[in-house]
Amino acid sequence: MNRPPAVAIDFGTPDSPNSSSFEFEEVGYPDPYHQHQHQYDPESYGGRANEETLPLHYMSEEKARRRVRAGAAAGNGSDFDGGAAVSGNEKEQFEYQEYDDAGKDVYNKPKPYNGQRISSGRGPSQPLPPPTTITEFLLQNTEVIVPVVYTLLSCWTRFHRIGASNTVVWDEAHFGKFGSHYLKREFYFDVHPPLGKMLVGLAGLLSGYDGSFEFKSGEVYPDTVPYVAMRVMLATFGVLMVPLAWFTSVELGMSQWACHLTTLMVLLDVGWLCISRFILLDSMLLFFTFLTVFCLTRFHNEQFEPFSIDWWVWLFFTGISIGCVTSVKMIGLFVTALVGVYTVEDLWDKFGDTRLTVRQQFNHWAARVVCLIVVPVLVFMASFKIHFLILNHSGPGDSQMSSLFQANLEGNDFYKNPLDVAFGSRVTLKNMGWGGGLLHSHVQTYPVGSNQQQVTCYHYKDNNNEWNILPAWNDKQHDPEGPLRYLKDGDIIRLSHVPTGRNLHSHTVTAPVSKLNYEVSGYGNLTVGDNHDYWQVEIVDDTKRGSVGQVHSLTTRMRFKHVALGCYLRAANAVLPQWGFKQIEVSCDKENNRKDAHTYWNVESHWNDRLPAGDMKLYKSPFLRDFWHLNVAMMTSNNALIPDPDKEDILASKPFDWPFLHLGLRMCGWGDNQIKYYLMGTPVVWWGSTISLGVALLTFAVYILRWQRKYNDMDAREWDHFLYVGKIAFFGWAFHYVPFLIMGRVTYLHHYLPTLYFAVLMFGHVLDHFIFSSRRFSARTKAIVFGVLVSILVATFWWFSGVAFGIDGPVNEHWGLKWRETWNIYN
Amino acid sequence: MSSKGKLRQRNPQPEASTSNYEYDQVQEDEHHADIYTSPKSRSGIEKFFEGSQGSIIVVSALTALAFALRFYKISHPDQVVFDEVHFGKFAAYYITHQYYFDVHPPLAKMLFGLAGWFVGFDGSFLFENIGDSYITNNVPYVGMRALPAVLGSLTVPVVYAIMKESGFSTVIAAFSASLILFDNAHVAQSRLILLDAALIFFMSLTIYSYVKFRKYRYMEFTLEWWTWLLMTGFWMACTWASKVNGILTVFCVGVAVLFDLWDILDVRKEGHTMDYFYSHFLARAGGLILWPFIVYLSFFWIHFRVLTQSGPGDTFMSPAFQETLAGNELLMSSHDIYYYDILTFRHKDTKVFLHSHPDRYPLQYEDGRVSSQGQQVTGYGHNDTNNHWRIIPTKSLPETGRGRIVRNNDVVQLLHMPTNTLLLTHDVASPLMPTNQEFTTWARDDYTRHNDTLFKIQLAWDAPENEPFKSKSGYFKLIHVPTKVALWTHPKTLPDWAFKQQEINGNKNPSERSAIWYVEDIIADQYNDEPADRDEDQRPVKVPKSMNFFKKYIELQLLMFQHNAGLTASHPYASGPLNWPFMISGISFWTDNDTQKQIYLVGNIIGWWTCVVGLSVFVGIIAADLLARRRAMDPIPDSVRNRLWNNTGFFLIVWGVHYAPFFLMNRQLFIHHYLPSHLASALIAGSVLNFILSDTINYPISYATSKTRLRPSQYADTGFKGLATVLGYGLVLFMMFIYIAPLTYGTPGLTGEQVNSKRLLSTWTLHFAAKKTHDS
Repeated sequence: MNRPPAVAIDFGTPDSPNSSSFEFEEVGYPDPYHQHQHQYDPESYGGRANEETLPLHYMSEEKARRRVRAGAAAGNGSDFDGGAAVSGNEKEQFEYQEYDDAGKDVYNKPKPYNGQRISSGRGPSQPLPPPTTITEFLLQNTEVIVPVVYTLLSCWTRFHRIGASNTVVWDEAHFGKFGSHYLKREFYFDVHPPLGKMLVGLAGLLSGYDGSFEFKSGEVYPDTVPYVAMRVMLATFGVLMVPLAWFTSVELGMSQWACHLTTLMVLLDVGWLCISRFILLDSMLLFFTFLTVFCLTRFHNEQFEPFSIDWWVWLFFTGISIGCVTSVKMIGLFVTALVGVYTVEDLWDKFGDTRLTVRQQFNHWAARVVCLIVVPVLVFMASFKIHFLILNHSGPGDSQMSSLFQANLEGNDFYKNPLDVAFGSRVTLKNMGWGGGLLHSHVQTYPVGSNQQQVTCYHYKDNNNEWNILPAWNDKQHDPEGPLRYLKDGDIIRLSHVPTGRNLHSHTVTAPVSKLNYEVSGYGNLTVGDNHDYWQVEIVDDTKRGSVGQVHSLTTRMRFKHVALGCYLRAANAVLPQWGFKQIEVSCDKENNRKDAHTYWNVESHWNDRLPAGDMKLYKSPFLRDFWHLNVAMMTSNNALIPDPDKEDILASKPFDWPFLHLGLRMCGWGDNQIKYYLMGTPVVWWGSTISLGVALLTFAVYILRWQRKYNDMDAREWDHFLYVGKIAFFGWAFHYVPFLIMGRVTYLHHYLPTLYFAVLMFGHVLDHFIFSSRRFSARTKAIVFGVLVSILVATFWWFSGVAFGIDGPVNEHWGLKWRETWNIYN
Repeated sequence: MSSKGKLRQRNPQPEASTSNYEYDQVQEDEHHADIYTSPKSRSGIEKFFEGSQGSIIVVSALTALAFALRFYKISHPDQVVFDEVHFGKFAAYYITHQYYFDVHPPLAKMLFGLAGWFVGFDGSFLFENIGDSYITNNVPYVGMRALPAVLGSLTVPVVYAIMKESGFSTVIAAFSASLILFDNAHVAQSRLILLDAALIFFMSLTIYSYVKFRKYRYMEFTLEWWTWLLMTGFWMACTWASKVNGILTVFCVGVAVLFDLWDILDVRKEGHTMDYFYSHFLARAGGLILWPFIVYLSFFWIHFRVLTQSGPGDTFMSPAFQETLAGNELLMSSHDIYYYDILTFRHKDTKVFLHSHPDRYPLQYEDGRVSSQGQQVTGYGHNDTNNHWRIIPTKSLPETGRGRIVRNNDVVQLLHMPTNTLLLTHDVASPLMPTNQEFTTWARDDYTRHNDTLFKIQLAWDAPENEPFKSKSGYFKLIHVPTKVALWTHPKTLPDWAFKQQEINGNKNPSERSAIWYVEDIIADQYNDEPADRDEDQRPVKVPKSMNFFKKYIELQLLMFQHNAGLTASHPYASGPLNWPFMISGISFWTDNDTQKQIYLVGNIIGWWTCVVGLSVFVGIIAADLLARRRAMDPIPDSVRNRLWNNTGFFLIVWGVHYAPFFLMNRQLFIHHYLPSHLASALIAGSVLNFILSDTINYPISYATSKTRLRPSQYADTGFKGLATVLGYGLVLFMMFIYIAPLTYGTPGLTGEQVNSKRLLSTWTLHFAAKKTHDS
């Protein structure tokens, strides 16, 4: 089975008189780590002058840069006979002596120059002779024309009928509203990082929207909201997915046919199309995911010349792109993991390369640490910095943040709080742990434990957060007319919940979630109570004033010690089940851990008619503190988004439903007069790509078993290329899919959309491997297969395009859309 | 992404070959020293212990000690402890032959039943509550506890033997064995009627057999080779049949076999043919898949043979299965249903009757939604004439006879008898759930809504098309014909306007598992008479039916998987896998308030932390070796490296495969799930100690044949320092064991201060702790 290669292959041996003509294909082949000689032989050009009669080959430069060999079909004169493009391990020495440049564009060869490299990129190219016919023009410029055509097609699909539905569709209700908050500069809270929503805000700003609309789900847009312009701007990200897919598959070294197919699948998938046409974050998430993969593959192709300008540029852009994708949605961490694994493998290879000096090794490591860790983190933090800078007014998300941060927001009146807290004051208490909320109670009772009234930590402002500071039962009762008694360190108090009159209480009942702690509940009323209602104030410090004797609002950090049990009032990030409305559990911690910020509380709002309004000058809240605080709060809320067994969420789906498109998702109301959007995919794309994953794994298994028996199915470079593309696609898919299986949170169909990209790349790769780059098939066969596949693709897209463009009229009149029993597309 | 590295090695580099075979390695490195090649130059201590006499003395001492520690005061406490509630009960069911259902396979429980039967337990005591007295109930519990104690004690010599067979010296083997011997968690777990002692014993035997099997690898297809192959399979099957976690042992042997087969496939190794590979492959498929599966099935076969009577497990099973049990209710009182019978319907999960009464839904609910204001349909827990429904056909019927029987997939109407209205559902949101449809009734003589009153009877368990619909056994779903919703209810009750009865609504997911109902009783037939004994003739009287063993097995196995995944309720002593190796938290098994005695499952903390250190050092060695070899350096002698990779690496796989899957599980997890991994980590710790004390190993240890090329042998020598280290360490381990022992044996009682002093980690939630002063 040791089959000789059907065609001799070469990528430029220095001695060859036909030595390649381009800077970029010259470098790196024999030995990437040493300065190489440029051996141009002017004679050879002269000798080949009559080759001008050769057919002008399109895109020779691009092909050469990707080191495309001519396949068996080279003689057939097809434009598409690229054969397996090989990239990957450029360190291999080549044994092949002949160079196949049958398809070279001889005009495109630069004049030899003095051997000094100008830059690491492409060599200077000579102007082409003017094309004489249109065909010639097209062929000469295919490299530009193809992506331009795809971009234009993409514009049409993305923008066509984009304003057809004049109502708030699906999650536009959220993201439109968040965009409005940026325009109004009001602080809000959401589980997603801010970059995507800031771009929504920017789109609103550019289109002249004033932020006044509330984006209630299903509502009709008023004239003041330029929703079409906003949708178009955000859909532009979706438009750019298509050319990115083209360039990525080119960089991945797929054959022309496979590149076209991959791009067409991205262009014609109704899922990607549908999600890109609204005011949502997904188009940006997808765009940056695609961009990251593109940058990575581009960087990979620069690997033969480390530390060149291009190498740095693409490494750096990979980092920027990672930063952007994670700043749009945390899902971006999955593509980051792909880059991470690629880098680890790459560094492991470098580590084993004993020719590299220690200094070079170090530089490789340092470059990646800087570009792939430091840069993304900076981008991520920068997006939060801008977020804080824009949102400087008080808004609905205030209570998620520390009291100090809130006090710095415009429109907030904390600074008017009376400074000194006294008995009889009405206060709200803020937990000072990362992501801490306000001490809260409501009439609902615990269904477990003592069955007394619930006490929780809550992140929104509401009367149920208010507590009265009262003296202990056995102490002199509070007299509203008597002398003021200020709250001091060591005072024993009772906290009475203002709306319900219950006292903050703890007892030896285990807390519902943190089983090691005691439960905290609301017990008794204004007259009934016992000594388990007593809490001793322990002042930790005062962030502003040095003195710790007396409690001040906002700045004093204090702890509440339960007098009878000796435990401390604590709220960590444990979330109560549905009966507690997913609020944060408050418990009494038996361990006295003085360093535990989750037992620190401060007075946030403070009302006392008998005390003068304060006029505090406040410290700025440090950025890093706010940044971390907000991220912990985001994490906590995200973890609280678990499926609710009591409530059936008809939109949610399980990860197993996605790869074979078991379910679709109705994005809006389904009335006959509404324009209806149904989130699903083009079935052939989803099914085919999923099947291709299995095929790829099986193929890999067969090859590796045969390899163990020493069958040489491919030469080392083909094998490396097969693995490289396969790994990018497979690991990208797995990293974007497997976490959803493990995650506890509720999942939706659109979570599969970034994952799908990798499945589609795998589809392209598998088709490329078995058909388009295979030596077994003639160009004619390939053309037929290509034609059939494209027609199926276009036909299915056309069939289903309505679900993305909007279905008019009664849905049941649109025949033939229900390809699977489970699709709830019809009423 | 590792195949790249392998590919690179396709270039011929003979000295860097990754061969795993010890015999084709030429010892050419500088580590090779004469001192290790001659057994004569070993120290006297080593010579004594390596002899068979020394080895026997050591293993006998260890075993005797193991028995002593596990049987010490085994009769205490004379009460039901922790999960004895379950496993004691299951053992009793084997004695009384009553059918029960549990998520774990039957072997270990059958052994308990056998032990109970031996010591004269009659199965009448049902282990209902933790703390129930054995003495007053006259249960011979010591005999039943002796079984796990024996198995737990025998685990110690097996661990010793694993290490000896792996080529470590006697002192190292004794070290690993003592980590298990003096471990409080292993001791506590083996003194009670729990499954883990059996699981761990069988698992250690599986490891032992596999190590033996590998040692015979140059004598392929000989009697010894086959014996140990089949032994591996047998013990593997026993492990899996003892507890559901035992499947992990099967996986880890599977992983090891895959590595093994991969090597055999390699054509560079002596140029084996594919036939040679296939014969190896088939031998393993037979010995490690087919044969264990037969063994595993045979335990189920015995299980079904023993449990022939109706018991508490009946309701988990399908009607066909239930009818195989003597005395089962379905078997005794299931009747065919005829059209126009008056029936009561009951919901399978919540046991409420389908009920209706003349009161109507309020027009507007509290949240502002509106209803149809139709007659209420609710779920009611008590018997009442408002639960009576008549089943009306939608097809023509013969006058009499069996043609009038209701069958699977028939479309019917249900007539509410007291109000003379028909059951109906329509696209109106139900009172409590906006996503589900409201159920109401409609006047019988008003035909305008005829279509909305049509329902399909769909029998559960994929019944065939013409299956008759029976009372009791006929579990069914009632599917609404026009809208495809299923009649469904859930434990939430409606407000006062419906007398706090349970809500009934239409679930849009017709595959919902909780939408199953059955006919509780046939009240009357079409003439309003008591139903006659209409089907007595066709049913042989009260004789259990038979059912194919494989059908029974498959049904039970699927149910076991489903219920195992369903164990997600939280438990105060459940802990996350990350805590386990560090012994962060234990489990309170039993307490006695009067004497302040308690049993708290917690490991010997010195032993456990030694194992963690051993694991980390081993991973460190492996990583350092990988890095060094990547940089073309070669710090470890080849024979030692091969031993580390192939033998200790196998232990690492055992550890990892028994540990990692728990991270993915959502069910409640306890520290005792780590005990199999802890055993593997004790093996690794022994290997690491050997590596630290001596840079040699006993080599070769595999049985050679005429085909194998003999290589210069080596002998490990830990010398006096090895003996001293192990003895000293064993003493420390023993002292720690004694210190924690009151928590392990549950006696003597401890004062509050003593409890505080035993609480070595603040996370151990011991009972009866003295109140801490908070002045510090």
